[in-house]
Amino acid sequence: MRPRALPYSPERRRWRFTITPFRVVLLLIVAVTLGLLGYRFVAGLGAVTNLSDKWPWSFWTWWKLSAVSLAGAGYFTMFMIYFLGRERYRDVERGAFIVSMLGYLMLCAALVIDLGQWYNAYRPIYQWGYHSVMFELFWCVGSYTVVQVVEFFVIFEERVPWRFLNRVLHAIHAPLLLLACFLPIFHQSALVSLYVITKGRLDPLWWSQLLPVYAVVTFFYIGPPVVLLENVIANRTYGRPVHMRGITDMLPVTAFIMFLYLAVRLVDLTVRGVLDELLSGTLYGNLALIELGIGVLLPAVMFASRDLRASKHAMVAASLLAIFGTWGFRFNVTMSGLVESIGVGWYVPSWMEATIALGLGAAVCVAYLFIVENFPIYTEADVAACEAAMAEAKAKELAPRQQPRLAVLPLDQVRELERAGRH
Amino acid sequence: MMTKDLRRRAPDVDVPPDDDPGGVSRRSFLRAATVAAGTTAILAHGATTAGASELVPEDDPEELAHEHADDPGLLIDITKCVGCAKCVRACKLDNDLEWRQDQSATGADAELASSNWTVVRAEAVETIEESRLGPRRRAARRYVKLQCLHCLEPACASACFVAALKKTEEGPVLYDGNRCVGCRYCLLACPFGVPTFEWDETFGRVQKCDLCPERTTEGEPTACAEACPQGAITFGRRGELLEEAWRRVRSDERYVQHVYGETEAAGTSVMYLSDVPFEELGFRTGVAVDPLPTYTWEVTRILPPFAAGFTVTIMALWARRQKIQRERAEAEANGPRDEEVVS
Repeated sequence: MRPRALPYSPERRRWRFTITPFRVVLLLIVAVTLGLLGYRFVAGLGAVTNLSDKWPWSFWTWWKLSAVSLAGAGYFTMFMIYFLGRERYRDVERGAFIVSMLGYLMLCAALVIDLGQWYNAYRPIYQWGYHSVMFELFWCVGSYTVVQVVEFFVIFEERVPWRFLNRVLHAIHAPLLLLACFLPIFHQSALVSLYVITKGRLDPLWWSQLLPVYAVVTFFYIGPPVVLLENVIANRTYGRPVHMRGITDMLPVTAFIMFLYLAVRLVDLTVRGVLDELLSGTLYGNLALIELGIGVLLPAVMFASRDLRASKHAMVAASLLAIFGTWGFRFNVTMSGLVESIGVGWYVPSWMEATIALGLGAAVCVAYLFIVENFPIYTEADVAACEAAMAEAKAKELAPRQQPRLAVLPLDQVRELERAGRH
Repeated sequence: MMTKDLRRRAPDVDVPPDDDPGGVSRRSFLRAATVAAGTTAILAHGATTAGASELVPEDDPEELAHEHADDPGLLIDITKCVGCAKCVRACKLDNDLEWRQDQSATGADAELASSNWTVVRAEAVETIEESRLGPRRRAARRYVKLQCLHCLEPACASACFVAALKKTEEGPVLYDGNRCVGCRYCLLACPFGVPTFEWDETFGRVQKCDLCPERTTEGEPTACAEACPQGAITFGRRGELLEEAWRRVRSDERYVQHVYGETEAAGTSVMYLSDVPFEELGFRTGVAVDPLPTYTWEVTRILPPFAAGFTVTIMALWARRQKIQRERAEAEANGPRDEEVVS
């Protein structure tokens, strides 16, 4: 695979953004989304979404909860490096951090878009509805986003040196680190415990007093799979080497937490007497089975297997399944689990609603690419590898095709040709 | 040697020194952690003692009923309603609400909506009547007046994070649109599906019945109760209404032996009587009997102690890591020197 662009390196200090056909598509989606957002802020929520008094929250809520769960990548890596001393993850630290920060910025944007009187969004600062889960959410998401943006300035300062900023950042870095470790646990749980109050309406397959615990656990274990996917995508885009060893070291941890999570879910279902609903073959039972079987058990087994961990393809598949499980859990809590009690059928998002969700995701992708190409995110060794991969690809393109097709060559001659192609 | 050289350099070099990631010293980190743990411990203490009365929902049903016995309420007797919808008209006039084509306030498809604080919904049901030929099934119609039930422990108010929805001292659950951010969590939280949202407004707000506080605080009946020509809507104190409700239910066996709103969501100020099972009239049965806010409280109350414990754990991990790194650095510092001696 030919690398598409080069990451930032101190030798190339010009601001730039490589344009490829895929990025044109991303930018188009972002442009359409901006237009739709303009319409939404003029015409109101009803004009853009299919939301109603029956379905006051739905698709966007699911999208927000799901998208921000991927920020587990940054949290997991940060926790491993700074609190468990796993220095190996420094290679992937900044990439994972950028994914998290952008995820949170997107969440904040999506939250404001979803508010009726969004200009009142600052009010919880002095109007304390402290008995609401939303209150906790507001404070923790808000402050964690600020913490992450401030942490980003550490990277920003390396690119745009500014002594004063540097000094300030060093002074406040310790409390920031503590907050960064502290806050996500609370609001990631709060994001799903919003639905604790739907007791009696959310299907008992999903309603549980333990909803906040499930939310945090799924957020935490999703970290390594997301880091792996981020690595694979970075490899395809920039030719950056996949840090397989570091990541596969993390995956057994993920597998262990996943097994534990599955066990707690099943015990919880048994205690509340709804285990038979899981196996009843009804739509709800099957949805829960798919969520737990394909989204948790299967990837956990794959992560736990030493043989499969050696295969990049298997691990990518397992990571996608793990994300499917985490997103599926949030889908069942926010959407399918409520269908029966709401009683007006499934929620189908309007095309504008879906486009805005997609556009926010596309904006995150564009921002990630821009940051990687303009800020020191990858380690020096990685940047060198990316440059080598790019040079190799260019050489290959320029070199005339010498190999005759379908001809059988002696092995040593093939090796020689390969060697020639590499240099 | 390599790491040692790097450590001597200024803190703003690209590669952070090993035992000083990003310039965080152990002492400053521990100081921050101690302050955070202390603060959370104080908050935890405050939440469980001083704030307890407001934070903890009352979950003893008898105590709750006694506490709210004097709250204004309505008793709606579905057997007496003829579906004239005079109550709907009175409500619209009194609260200055529009009649909208797309929000029907009467008929089979009537729904609460941003301009409908109350509606009268027609339900086609079957009743069993005694005739000379024995019991006979008969198609019949019942009219259900929907509106906010004004819970004793309202889920909507507990869910509101800007305190725009409040359970007032006097009883009604009131909404202040100026405080509201329009997040619609109250719509999700309400077990009866009462609050509605202005979906077609640029800046949407929530709309719901306020139990005519300007009338009820003076002891006058609500606009709807006053307008009812059939006596289907009785205005009064909740405790008295409950007694009256059970008097009626006991005196006539055709009534369903249940007062809807007595125990639903831990009790409501607006209650219903019916001769047709409530679920056939579209009522949400199976609403949790405990106050819904208790479930959220169960989650939020463990947070402060959990936060304190979590902080202590982080500090322990951090300290352990520092120790390991110091040891490693010492070992490294000793290692090369040995080599020098050998060479």
